[in-house]
Amino acid sequence: MAERTGPQEGAGPLPQKRGKNKGKGTFKSLLPLLPFLAFIAYFLVFPLTFIVRDAFLSNDGHFTWLNFEECFKGVYGHSFYVSLRLSFISAMIGAVAGSLIASAIVKTGSRTRKAVAATSSVLANTGGVPLAFMFLAGFGAEGLVTKTLKALGWNIYGGSFTLFSETGIILVYCFFQIPLMVLIFSPALENVKPELREANDSLGGTRISYFSRIAVPLLFPAFLSTSLLLFANSFSAYATARAMTAGTLPLMPLLIGNLVDGNVLANQEHLGHAMAVSMIGVSIIVMGVYLLVLRFSKVRS
Amino acid sequence: MTTENRVSVQLKGLRKVYGDAVALENFNLELAPGELVALLGPSGCGKTTALRILAGLDTDHEGQIIINGKDIASIPANKRNMGMVFQAYSLFPTMTVLENVAYGLRVRRVDKEKRRVKAQELLELVGLGNMGNRLAHQLSGGQQQRVALARALAIQPNVLLLDEPLSALDAQVRTQLRDEIKRIQTEVGTTTLFVTHDQEEAMAIADRVGVMRHGVLEQCAPPQEIYLNPINVKVAKFVGAMNLLPAEILSANELRVFGQKLELRASDAAAPTGKTGMALIRPEQLSLKLGDGKGPASATVVSRTFLGPLTRISVRMVADSSTLFISMPSAQALQFVEGSSVDVQIHATSVLLDA
Amino acid sequence: MKKKLNVVNYIVLLGATAFFVFPLIAATEFSLRAKNATTHNFDNYIWVFKQDGFKTTLGTSFRLAILTAVAVLILMVPTIVYLHLGGARWKRFIEFVCLVPLVVPVISFALGVQTAFPTFLQSTVYELSFLYVVISLPYTYRALDVGLSSIPLLTLVEASRASGASMRQTLMFVVVPTIRSAVNGAIFLAVALSLGEFTLAVLLHWDTFPTWIANISQGHILGAISLSVLALVGSWLLVLIVAIAPKSFGSNKTQEVAA
Repeated sequence: MAERTGPQEGAGPLPQKRGKNKGKGTFKSLLPLLPFLAFIAYFLVFPLTFIVRDAFLSNDGHFTWLNFEECFKGVYGHSFYVSLRLSFISAMIGAVAGSLIASAIVKTGSRTRKAVAATSSVLANTGGVPLAFMFLAGFGAEGLVTKTLKALGWNIYGGSFTLFSETGIILVYCFFQIPLMVLIFSPALENVKPELREANDSLGGTRISYFSRIAVPLLFPAFLSTSLLLFANSFSAYATARAMTAGTLPLMPLLIGNLVDGNVLANQEHLGHAMAVSMIGVSIIVMGVYLLVLRFSKVRS
Repeated sequence: MTTENRVSVQLKGLRKVYGDAVALENFNLELAPGELVALLGPSGCGKTTALRILAGLDTDHEGQIIINGKDIASIPANKRNMGMVFQAYSLFPTMTVLENVAYGLRVRRVDKEKRRVKAQELLELVGLGNMGNRLAHQLSGGQQQRVALARALAIQPNVLLLDEPLSALDAQVRTQLRDEIKRIQTEVGTTTLFVTHDQEEAMAIADRVGVMRHGVLEQCAPPQEIYLNPINVKVAKFVGAMNLLPAEILSANELRVFGQKLELRASDAAAPTGKTGMALIRPEQLSLKLGDGKGPASATVVSRTFLGPLTRISVRMVADSSTLFISMPSAQALQFVEGSSVDVQIHATSVLLDA
Repeated sequence: MKKKLNVVNYIVLLGATAFFVFPLIAATEFSLRAKNATTHNFDNYIWVFKQDGFKTTLGTSFRLAILTAVAVLILMVPTIVYLHLGGARWKRFIEFVCLVPLVVPVISFALGVQTAFPTFLQSTVYELSFLYVVISLPYTYRALDVGLSSIPLLTLVEASRASGASMRQTLMFVVVPTIRSAVNGAIFLAVALSLGEFTLAVLLHWDTFPTWIANISQGHILGAISLSVLALVGSWLLVLIVAIAPKSFGSNKTQEVAA
């Protein structure tokens, strides 16, 4: 912090003078941000440039598109599809279930709401081996829930269900997706003022007109943007996928992990890099939509 | 554009309880067609509860709500046709101003062109004819409340309900919009109930003011009546400034203050002859003259506060060191400098007694 | 603002509670099973505590967490304070930079780190702290930004400077105490992330508490389950206490600031 003697120079009146002497002051006003920018450059930008570079290199160090062609073909291309589908479904389930829960919680007292928010923040961060074991203990073939349901006459393993199938993984992902939705969507719900409902009623509106014309348009941006966040969340989930599938389900993060750990074949790191870059590409598209939605949601007062 | 449906409202024996707290007790109020009644009282006095019961937003109450002779207590809020303006922030944030105003017509399935014309007409009425395409958050607080008023009027409501519509606004905007609401209400002629905690606002806007305390309607009368002839001590003390002067009770309808006989107005407290009490007298019902510091009405000028056309002088009574306030035209006040000895004179003929 | 819950609300809440509680109950029951699988005892928990890895990896993870939290504060507090004062024109840019980690899947990030970093950096487990600072950026930035937006920062800083304090003293004695709850929030996020992070640790081949759980799960499943239950319930109770009883904390802090 010793190098931070700069701020007070810029700490004049808040509204910055724009225009005229901008060029001159630009570098000076950037100085206090240098430590932060240097840190980001080294620990974030630098590693990213390396994977992008390596994604375009062949094993003998020449430029090539082959890695990208490869990663959309065969088992790798398939993993792309499986990952996208699984992320989409788990995001939708999480978003719908989460908003239903949030809309019930919002009616309770402030202490309950705080406790739910705290609990959600813990659950949203569970993953990996601990989460996998809880589901094995609960929904595994010998699990408590499975046995209980069986005793009640419903054998969940009657069909093709296993915890290691796509359906199983989605079920497991729900354990952190739903709380994440509750966590992020609740504040938006709490912002819906009761006066809007009362205004609707006094103007002769019905329950249906309130929901369709007022509540849904008001909450849709928050709902959509949070759903996209859930999508990105499950798309990049690695720890849980690794703990759950042991390679049975081809998910992109798992294949990348295998490729770079040399578990499959040697000399395929660059394919891994290409896949990693493709994943970033997908996330950028999703986040682009997210930011777009946020911009339009400025409509809200 | 006077509305055809001028309705009368009768609230009879309303009672509302929240848990252990009684919000409203034996509340009776009648509004004549086209009348504007303001309910005035401190927060928690039950005024908003009364309005919300009329709107149908608070249910589970006792008593009757009669509109044009029909009891509507069992009709839900959205079928009552009441136009309501809330304290603030009640515009639908995803709709434009015009869509907001047209909303009530839309849920009534009025066709598109008709409701656009009607909404535009109302926006003109509140002086925002060119703001139809804005969103709520692009308007100032005062403009938002104008839109809320237009929205409430668009459905040609039986009754217009205003729940502290001005209290979130700046002082200047508040007076301006207050006068505007009065103008529009007179023009449209809708029976209106206005709830506020601001005396000046209630006095300025209402045909009649209802003063409420602890869930009870103490008095409902035209503003000047409330001010000049408060029905009891509670109302007298709540509305406007009041001096308390020691009084000697001579008989059931006569008392003496500073050696001057005054008529005692009928009060709810029975006055026992021969005892003393406090007479309630307004600052403008007192005057001063320079004196010699002797006699029961003598006092010393403590300070003067210049309020424009009027000046308020505070004096300390020689007899009991109590402080009185006197208002008088500023030109007259010049002679009473700090420290001068004065005699206090009373110009009231009949007064209330705080026993 | 309590309102009445309707039937649908109750069904939803009941279903949700069941979904989240049953796996935990089931895991707890499993973790208490004795070897013969007919009775229940605490053997698995005792076994776990006796392992060498338990202490060492938990220690590593806690040290990582502390280092991460400290690094976040040193890096972020002055930066965001500056954005709220003279550097307002860079705010959008920095905001954008802080969102970037959301776009980069951790696995991709891990890959980049593996190839890009020189060996001297990759030779210590504490490299993870710097990476955790990066991936916690979107959350810590938000927490601190919200905190600073809610106080009259410029006035406070000017008052402190006028009293003769240096910028560093101003940050430490005025700004940070004033936004204590936001700072706590940022610390909390950084610590939680460091204690639970798995992907970076495992791909860079470090032994932290989460990777250790994964390791023992291959030889001693019940032990791993016991650990999982402990970790979840422990962090839940911690968060719950912090969330529900902050009032007394808060008032103490304000008194300190006032004194």
